[in-house]
Amino acid sequence: MTDTLPDLPADPADGLAAVVALRRLADRLEDAGVERALADGWTWEQMSEALGVTRQAVHKKHAKRLAGSGLAATRRKR
Amino acid sequence: MFERFAKDAAKVVHDAVEEAAALGSPTIEAEHLLLAIAGGRHGGATFLLEDAGLDADALMAALEREHELSLAAAGVAIGDFELPATPPRPRRTPSFATSSKRALERALKVAVANHSRRVGALHLLVGVLRAEFGTVPRALAGAEVDRIALATRAERMLG
Repeated sequence: MTDTLPDLPADPADGLAAVVALRRLADRLEDAGVERALADGWTWEQMSEALGVTRQAVHKKHAKRLAGSGLAATRRKR
Repeated sequence: MFERFAKDAAKVVHDAVEEAAALGSPTIEAEHLLLAIAGGRHGGATFLLEDAGLDADALMAALEREHELSLAAAGVAIGDFELPATPPRPRRTPSFATSSKRALERALKVAVANHSRRVGALHLLVGVLRAEFGTVPRALAGAEVDRIALATRAERMLG
């Protein structure tokens, strides 16, 4: 199995740059995922559970960004 | 800090904030300062980048390539994900990240060392180019731009 796993970059600079790139990708995936969840009628509570962070954290990060986009989460459970 | 900025440098910083927001970035990074210099009319600083083949489009392509290569090093292909073509709206006004703060600090130091009363766009360019690590030096190396030579040219223009 081990021969199918990618090697860690030999140069630490490459490894650390990969971390930066992954964080940026994770951010973009979160933005897109939250938008999709909102469109599907998810509540902030449900998104927070799925992301493993507090409801306040998800709300703070995304509510303002998505205000006026026509997407609105409800507080109630579906 | 910004009170010591000349008009052209203040414009670069202002444009960098816009670049970050337009790209959906929650933070202002050093590359946004560089994009602002490349995409504006900031005299010698913009000219030096253009002369090195870095107009705004070329720089953006170099940055995207660096992002893809760094993801590939972790075994991730950006094409594996279906991401919205238009960048997301920023969560709030982007804040200055460490990479841009360091670039601004270096620019200020260069200005002080040159006995300049004000920090100008060229100082900012030097501040960004003198970063040894991070996205900007990697993207420039990938685009085969000699970062050190470019920084040295900018410093010479400062006199």
